[in-house]
Amino acid sequence: MIGLRDVSLRVDGRLLLRAIDAQIESGEFVALIGPNGVGKTTLLRAISGLHAYAGTILVDGAAGAELPPLARARRVAFVTGDEVLLDALRVADVVSIGRFPHHRWWQWQARPEDERAIQQALRAVRMEALSERFFATLSAGERQRVWIALGLAQETPILLLDEPTSHLDVRVAHEILELLRTLAREGKTIVCALHDLNEAAAYADRIALLGEGTLLTVAPPAQLLNGRLIERVYGIAMERVRLPGGGLRVFAGPRGAIRG
Amino acid sequence: MKTLKAIALIAIVPGAGAASMLVGATPLTLAQILSQLGHPHEQSVLHAIVWQLRLPRVCIAATVGASLAIGGAMLQGMLRNPLVDPYLTGVSAAAAAAIAVAVVAGAAAATLPPIGFVAGLGAALLVAALARRGSGIDSNRLILAGVSLSALCAAIVTLVIVRAQSYDYAAAVLSWLAGSMAGRGWHDLAATSPYLALGALLALASVGPLNALRIGELRARAVGLDVDRAQWTILASASLLAAASVALAGLVGFVGLIVPHLTRRVVGSDARVLLPGCAAIGAALCMVADAVCRRIVAPAELPIGVLLAIIGVPAFLYLYLRPQVPAARVVA
Repeated sequence: MIGLRDVSLRVDGRLLLRAIDAQIESGEFVALIGPNGVGKTTLLRAISGLHAYAGTILVDGAAGAELPPLARARRVAFVTGDEVLLDALRVADVVSIGRFPHHRWWQWQARPEDERAIQQALRAVRMEALSERFFATLSAGERQRVWIALGLAQETPILLLDEPTSHLDVRVAHEILELLRTLAREGKTIVCALHDLNEAAAYADRIALLGEGTLLTVAPPAQLLNGRLIERVYGIAMERVRLPGGGLRVFAGPRGAIRG
Repeated sequence: MKTLKAIALIAIVPGAGAASMLVGATPLTLAQILSQLGHPHEQSVLHAIVWQLRLPRVCIAATVGASLAIGGAMLQGMLRNPLVDPYLTGVSAAAAAAIAVAVVAGAAAATLPPIGFVAGLGAALLVAALARRGSGIDSNRLILAGVSLSALCAAIVTLVIVRAQSYDYAAAVLSWLAGSMAGRGWHDLAATSPYLALGALLALASVGPLNALRIGELRARAVGLDVDRAQWTILASASLLAAASVALAGLVGFVGLIVPHLTRRVVGSDARVLLPGCAAIGAALCMVADAVCRRIVAPAELPIGVLLAIIGVPAFLYLYLRPQVPAARVVA
């Protein structure tokens, strides 16, 4: 469960987001959308305890700001696709770092439960066969799956993901989203920043729309995509297509649809 | 496999130690040395050679090598910069400057190691204060502050040497700059042991954080690492180990820079085996190098820093720059 009460965020002194109130329940998959630079990543980082904020953020019932780093990392995992230069690490080495919050400083050796969690995480993202490969030799999509496995290895009730489907081909992207859907069904709270509105519509229980310096709404996909708010926030007209199964998909309008 | 490699690395330490014990003005066999080591309270010339001359020197060489290598590995891992060595924080430069000034001021030889230690640690504190950002340390500021302070101290050393009234002053300063274990004994080791022990303990506490930092600072924070605390711990450990090494042997360059690279090539970047591996290779390298320094121009001695650079740098360049697997080239 995640609770946001009157949360505001600043970046370099500039107010980025203000007056955010939201409640996300256990077992819920919420997609976080909004234009570039609106503050999706910053909000996810704030919930993860990686960015300062004003207001109250509750993670799994506890005030995030009061949690020590290790306790917080046992409740919230944050998956980001930012590339960093890694030394000669193998896939399993990277994923094993997800077990860091479950160890005291003198506990150097992996325990059976660590091995189990690492293998389970690798299996979930279908990277078992590549566990001994050097991370640097992986494709962008494979690296993304490793980062997700790292978050899964933390075994937290809350999983936050920053654009996990970027760099992925359409099949792998849907596999990842399907995995997140499954994790939500198993009881995890999933919040996932996405750029593809239709991915959000297809997999999320609710979509949270950031725009105009705040959280504008958290609504079911059909309700959000059907309204005009989304066009206002993105500043572009959208075409809507109703699927035979009842779902709704949106597409940016033709040339000349850009507003403002 | 990593553990086996680490065990193999640690096994080279007694080998290098034994080889170093055999070298000296008085020829001794391994059996004689072992016999003396087995009788610590015997009264004889042989006993004095083994217990009062060679063993402390070998122990000091091993301690200096291990300390510098561990310090270098930790700072390289923390700053994710392969060019960093344990002297980055200005420890060596400040120690050299303080000792240069002390020599010219007529300080007794026995006071030079503690002067070097205090100045080195003081420089590390100053650099850390300059690099402070919020509750943590800014990596770029740390490097810039360390390099700047080192340049200032180097200028002071040069000024002292140029303006020295006698050749003896300049020679005394230069011998510190080149590094040497000549004349060091148990009392030096005893004096620095509390700082070495504290540095080693902090290094042990840094194993988990160093491993977490391999995936970058942001992700390390995300898995629960208190990065600020980890940085201060690593910096304190590396500074204590480097300052104690300077007090023991002057400026022994090269070890803290390349031993971590070589060890990483053998055992990988997992700090659980990297740090013990660095300690083993650093210790073995310094023990053997010190023995060669004693032997090569006997009865005089070659400065260990000079020898390590002349032989080690080409060997390192060959090992490090030869073609290899792309992934293994990337450094933390």
